[in-house]
Amino acid sequence: MTMIEVNQLTKTYMTHERGHSMREIAMNLIRRPMKEVRAVQDITFSVNRGEMVAFLGPNGAGKSTTLKMLTGVLHPTSGEAKVLGLTPWKQRREYVRHIGAVFGQKSQLLWDIPPIDAFYMNKAIYGVPEADYRRRLDQLTTLLQVGDIMKKPTRQLSLGERMKCEFIMAMLHGPQLVFLDEPTIGLDVFAKESIRDFIKDMNKQGVTFILTTHDLDDVELLAERVIVINHGEIVYDNALTNLQRLLGDKKNVRIVTDTPIRQLSLQGVTVVNSISEVEAELEIDTEIIPLKRFINAVNEQCGIQDMAITPLPIETLMKELYGQGSRTMTAASATGVPAGVAAQQGDLSM
Amino acid sequence: MIAVIRSAATCFWAVMRTKMAEQMAYRSHFVLSVILLIAGDLVVPLITLLVYRSGATFAGWTLYEALLVQAIFGLAKGIAFPLFFGMVNTTLGLVREGTFDLLLLKPRSVLWMTMLRGLDLDDFGRLISGGVLFGYALSGVSAPSITGWLQFAVLFAASLAVLCTFALLLSGLLFQWVGSSRVFDIFDSVTSFGMYPGTIYSKAVQQLLTYVIPVGLIANMPAVALLGRGGWETLGAAGASVVFLALGLWFWHAMLGRYTSAGG
Repeated sequence: MTMIEVNQLTKTYMTHERGHSMREIAMNLIRRPMKEVRAVQDITFSVNRGEMVAFLGPNGAGKSTTLKMLTGVLHPTSGEAKVLGLTPWKQRREYVRHIGAVFGQKSQLLWDIPPIDAFYMNKAIYGVPEADYRRRLDQLTTLLQVGDIMKKPTRQLSLGERMKCEFIMAMLHGPQLVFLDEPTIGLDVFAKESIRDFIKDMNKQGVTFILTTHDLDDVELLAERVIVINHGEIVYDNALTNLQRLLGDKKNVRIVTDTPIRQLSLQGVTVVNSISEVEAELEIDTEIIPLKRFINAVNEQCGIQDMAITPLPIETLMKELYGQGSRTMTAASATGVPAGVAAQQGDLSM
Repeated sequence: MIAVIRSAATCFWAVMRTKMAEQMAYRSHFVLSVILLIAGDLVVPLITLLVYRSGATFAGWTLYEALLVQAIFGLAKGIAFPLFFGMVNTTLGLVREGTFDLLLLKPRSVLWMTMLRGLDLDDFGRLISGGVLFGYALSGVSAPSITGWLQFAVLFAASLAVLCTFALLLSGLLFQWVGSSRVFDIFDSVTSFGMYPGTIYSKAVQQLLTYVIPVGLIANMPAVALLGRGGWETLGAAGASVVFLALGLWFWHAMLGRYTSAGG
């Protein structure tokens, strides 16, 4: 069942250009040249109930603007969006009752008082009945193992503890859809794990999540589907597992050899990082040189002492995608499925 | 309707409770703020006192009558500042940081959320200085009649509406003039005309201060009612405050439409 339906959403805004020189700064007092910025251009996608979608893109790509339109904060310049059957920016008050949002860099808690007071305030703002509030608070505090920390002033909490409380704040009214913006930024590995487990738990209970992050571990561990936006346009929308195929069948190889690797000369092999004369990280394109032939060749030329083969890191794939900008890619290039079929499945819109 | 009012009241008290808890986290700051506000608000009445002691007067006004105007000004600010003027600081800070988004994510009127977020308990201190001065000024004038008190009640409500409108105008401006903390200076400059008996100004200025920028309604007209110098026709001036408030509400919402958030 479709929860989010976005159709040709566009957002442009005017901003003034400012120079750096003293003269330009002084001129700004008199005249400010304006420039139109197309933050989001004709994006179309849909999200089903219960999905966990990562919304990715480099800084300034347009993902925050898109999420602000989907949360009802900003009005689009053109296009339509229906979320939970409502238009976010037109039916804001009714709509936000059903959504939650967690921002890694914007706190909804009150700095000087314990989170429990902020929860109580949110209960009143959302009009949550006492019994529901108690039940959800118990459930959330157990899942996140926060217990007594809710009664300590927010300023005395660690970042991890605070983020757990941000999640409680966002979930107390029982939202069906939650927007997460960098939810694990700055957290240690234990806190990250705890937050990720919580998100997975909530997702199993039917909550839909839209995740924006630059932490690609979050993406790998949480998201089933990835939407990549760059220069305001969607450049990839498909399952995370298909991302690998998009750039061909490549592997990352870390290798230690008997003789210096520079003697190695093979087509389809790129040295990514030369650690020492006999140790390096390589990227191999198995469409040009199959793994078996690569191993035989390296063993013959340099003598393999040790070797680890892993899929291409997601960072590399993202860098490729971000670099491609708005270049059109077809469904077939990513999945092997004919473009028309994939589009019908809602798999790709690049 | 009753359910809406009950829900709004519950919301208001819940926020007040957290605001109180916030203030109590820094008790010394709270106490110091209240004392400084009281002291600051007594400066103009002290100057008035010095003026009268030196033999000069506001024509047609005794010292107590002049102080009554300033006391009512203080009382009106004592209610309007904690309730409405926090909005200005809220808009100033949140729009600049882009965190005004968080208020838009709440299922309440944005204006109501902005007002709640800005509730400022320190400012209730102004009620103390205004109240003390009000009592002192009343002790020096003849006791107001029942009619006088009734007229005063209506005009004092109009006074609060005027101050609320100023808060709306200043807060609204900050959606466009992001980060301009100088908007408070605009308020101080304009409303300072309302701290003195209206008759010290020319007829034209009096009309301007009653019907166009109704700062005369903040203190002068309620004081005139208490002193028994105004007829029921002065209540017509309260109509100006309703129009002014409607204009303020329209302006604030129009400016909210210009909110562009900040980079993410």
